Amino acid sequence: MVLHAKIRSWLTILGIVIGVAAVISIVSMGEALQQDMTSQLGDLGGDILTLTAGASKAQGFGPGRDKSGGGSATASEEEVVVDKTDLQVLKGISDIKLLDTQIKGSADVYYVAEKGSVNVNGVDPATWSQITTSEIAEGRMLGPSDSNVVVVGGKIANGFFDKNLGVNQLITIEDKLFRIIGVLDDTSTSIYMPINAAYEILEDKEKGVYDSIVIQIKDEDQLEQAIDNIESKLLISRHVTSDKKDFTINSNAQSNEARAEMMGSMTTFLTAIAAVALLVGAVGIANTMFTSVLEKTKEIGIMKAIGARNNDIMTIFLLNAALIGLIGGLLGVVFGFMLSGVLPALMGDSGGIMGRMTSAGSVISLSSVFLALGMSVFIGIISGVVPAYQASRLKPVDALRYE
Amino acid sequence: MRQNSTILRLQNVSKIYQMGEVEVPALKNVTVDINKGDFVAIIGASGSGKSTMMNLIGCLDLPTEGNILLKDQNITRLSESDLASLRGKTIGFIFQQYNLIPSITAFENVLLPMEFQEIGDNEANQRVKKILEIVGLTDKGHHLPTQLSGGQQQRVSIARSLATDPEIILADEPTGALDSVTGKQVMEMLTNLWKEGKTIIMVTHDLNLAKYAHTTIELKDGQIIKINKRLR
Ligand SMILES: Nc1ncnc2c1ncn2[C@@H]1O[C@H](COP(=O)(O)OP(=O)(O)OP(=O)(O)O)[C@@H](O)[C@H]1O
Ligand SMILES: [Mg+2]
Repeated sequence: MVLHAKIRSWLTILGIVIGVAAVISIVSMGEALQQDMTSQLGDLGGDILTLTAGASKAQGFGPGRDKSGGGSATASEEEVVVDKTDLQVLKGISDIKLLDTQIKGSADVYYVAEKGSVNVNGVDPATWSQITTSEIAEGRMLGPSDSNVVVVGGKIANGFFDKNLGVNQLITIEDKLFRIIGVLDDTSTSIYMPINAAYEILEDKEKGVYDSIVIQIKDEDQLEQAIDNIESKLLISRHVTSDKKDFTINSNAQSNEARAEMMGSMTTFLTAIAAVALLVGAVGIANTMFTSVLEKTKEIGIMKAIGARNNDIMTIFLLNAALIGLIGGLLGVVFGFMLSGVLPALMGDSGGIMGRMTSAGSVISLSSVFLALGMSVFIGIISGVVPAYQASRLKPVDALRYE
Repeated sequence: MRQNSTILRLQNVSKIYQMGEVEVPALKNVTVDINKGDFVAIIGASGSGKSTMMNLIGCLDLPTEGNILLKDQNITRLSESDLASLRGKTIGFIFQQYNLIPSITAFENVLLPMEFQEIGDNEANQRVKKILEIVGLTDKGHHLPTQLSGGQQQRVSIARSLATDPEIILADEPTGALDSVTGKQVMEMLTNLWKEGKTIIMVTHDLNLAKYAHTTIELKDGQIIKINKRLR
């Protein structure tokens, strides 16, 4: 009510604004990420396994890790790899439906007078189109008889070079000419080509050795058994015991679970921060209310003298607190959405979760807006209750005498 | 002619202020009846208990002992919210320091008492306009209290005391902060209200102002030493 009280009110509101903005941006980023992930998980088969060389990270730094020389059962100092032999073993396993051998590396690509660096993926042209989760936006996927053709990521077609690329256009990768036959429906800067062509581009790759073998199993429900079976067959063929395993089988289902778990704990952490921010806001409101009760003691006395009941005084102060909460909440929602748009970009496209946040953007959901507003009004009222009660209980004479 | 019914009755009223260990007796065994339609001045030296008596009459405070009957209701037995209602409907306050709410306009200050009663918005607004006209401030309604002179503020405060059309007007040193000319205007306004049938109870230490009243109650050390009724 009093003019100079207004500035302090704005500071109080700021506390709530920060809290609500934090909550909104966290919730909306989290929601965006979740939507992004579920949309990817939806078609990302739980029936896909990936075989790579070396012990899994989960098994840590124990013996059996690749290149760890001493104690390795594979008697040699050679690098542990996945190669043709493993492919043959896998082909003999009945649980398996399809196999896709892959190598990857980076290469320079030229178009007209421009040059850029991209990820080159050599894949089995016969099976890749059936195993991959990528979708084609334009043209077609690789086929069994393809040789010097590529499928490019969406970013390469649009925005990578000054001129946009399309199907049937020619690009030079390292020193070879390739024809684009398809553009993927994504924003990646990856190029997919038949593995034999990739061996010629990525010169450090040895023919018959793969970076990974992607496995599609027949029955998704039998995932665990299939993994066990594949593992035991490979252990035999590679002459290692299970505690010195020199290969890793990742399942999409498992890594997705791990990712979801990590996301969950991150969300919890951020939510805790937001909760603290809101708590600070609440304390701020309570503090402002207490001082304003003191400041307005005389006015309370006057109002009681002219007929205000305890309830009237209580209502006035509670409404005031709720209003502070509401204004703070509204501003917080606005800032929160601005923040959730800007934050991921600020953190940079560093890949991983943050990188995915960048591409996921933010999702504005009406329910989170109402939740935030309801919450801030509630906080306002809660932190106003005690001061308001105190104000309402003041004795009229005492309040009137107050200067 | 005016009927001589009692509107306010103080029976053996004592008020003791507790200041830590010390008890300060401000009123001692005061008994007095005030008639409806009377113009009463409470006079006495500083510290004699005038304001204390005023606060008790206005239901702003309760006596330590004794009973106060306002319109035949014993205020010592009323609940806090009944007391507030009674105060709002029956008594209008005029303070020495005006006591307007500084953050709202003159119009809103006059409107405020009606907000605490069940009076419709339309009716309330009409009344504020009418009352502001009576106190001669029709064109000042949108002013904040700080944008008004002392005399104007006191007139707003008189207007506010009239908002709920109370039977009793209580004025504690209503001209105390005003110069003699403006003070005289205020006293004339009170006299007019009295003529219209209001009961006026005024505290003053100025014997010249006490002459406006028809009953003078003189306090000394918390006791009534003289009640003077002037015949009309
Ligand atoms: N809240 C209080 N606590 C303690 N003592 C008080 C309180 N209010 C008044 N008193 C004491 O009660 C006595 C009467 O005070 P009161 O305010 O009624 O005097 P007054 O006649 O209005 O004086 P003045 O003309 O100066 O306004 C004084 O001795 C005063 O000190
Ligand atoms: Mg006094």
